Amino acid sequence: MTSSPEPGARVALVTGGTRGIGKAIAQRLRADGLTVATLGRSGGDVQADVTDADSVQAAFEQVRERFGPVLILINNAGITADGLAIRMPDEDWDTVLDTNLTGAFHCTKRALEDMLAARWGRIVNISSVVAQRANPGQANYVAAKAGLLGYTRVVAREMGKRDITVNAVTPGVIETDMTADMPRELVKAIPAARVGRPDEVAAAVSFLVSDDAAYINGATLAVDGGLGA
Amino acid sequence: MATQQEILEAIRAELTAIKVPDADTAQPETTWEELDVDSLDLVELVKALEDRFDVQIADPDLKGIASVGDAIALVERLQGATA
Repeated sequence: MTSSPEPGARVALVTGGTRGIGKAIAQRLRADGLTVATLGRSGGDVQADVTDADSVQAAFEQVRERFGPVLILINNAGITADGLAIRMPDEDWDTVLDTNLTGAFHCTKRALEDMLAARWGRIVNISSVVAQRANPGQANYVAAKAGLLGYTRVVAREMGKRDITVNAVTPGVIETDMTADMPRELVKAIPAARVGRPDEVAAAVSFLVSDDAAYINGATLAVDGGLGA
Repeated sequence: MATQQEILEAIRAELTAIKVPDADTAQPETTWEELDVDSLDLVELVKALEDRFDVQIADPDLKGIASVGDAIALVERLQGATA
């Protein structure tokens, strides 16, 4: 059995790590003693457009140079472009799928090179409670987030014997810019009777990348106050 | 140009690194099936051989590569092509 790398030697890359849930995840993993790099479209430690494979490749090279090989990847970058499916512009479908699903594919592919070499790795894909339910007006977002859950399970199986785990977290309604315009009465549907905080999602991610979660692979962990139950 | 023996040693070393049982006694006639080498093992072996012998192995090259000897012959052929 290979020994897992020391926490300080574990470089975690958080995509979309400059705000919202991603920012909270980056802060939490830093507090856990990990070396954290954030990837953003314009901010963060490294910049990349996750929809563009070459841009992702360049960002990973920068992270390796400045921080080290990526042994923990949090695929968190995500956008919304809501509208009823019948009227959804093709462009809105493509952009959301490209960012939320294909972006995770591009980043995972590069990170797996480092993880395979290290014989250790942790990937957490940030999906959504809507991936397992439905949310009218979010056909693109739901398709992408549900796709991410399938992708999570496949890569988990493919990489399982190399001490690389791939899990997903499905946040419910979390207090971020993305949910700022959400009607407040929707809170009534949440069993916890409140929206969640980004640090509550970050706590689940912190667990999934820890040594305690070594035997958890291909799982989906809901952090939604019971909304998806 | 690497010799057949050098390529064999490199294959044994990489298979050992990825914890394939009996990798150190693998012979050219030993098949992946006998070694229990799966598709992920092969991906890692290909990467190691590319880095070690400075060759590019494309997916179509891997068709019909079922044994250690097949892999040795492939590396030899690709080395010859770039030499």
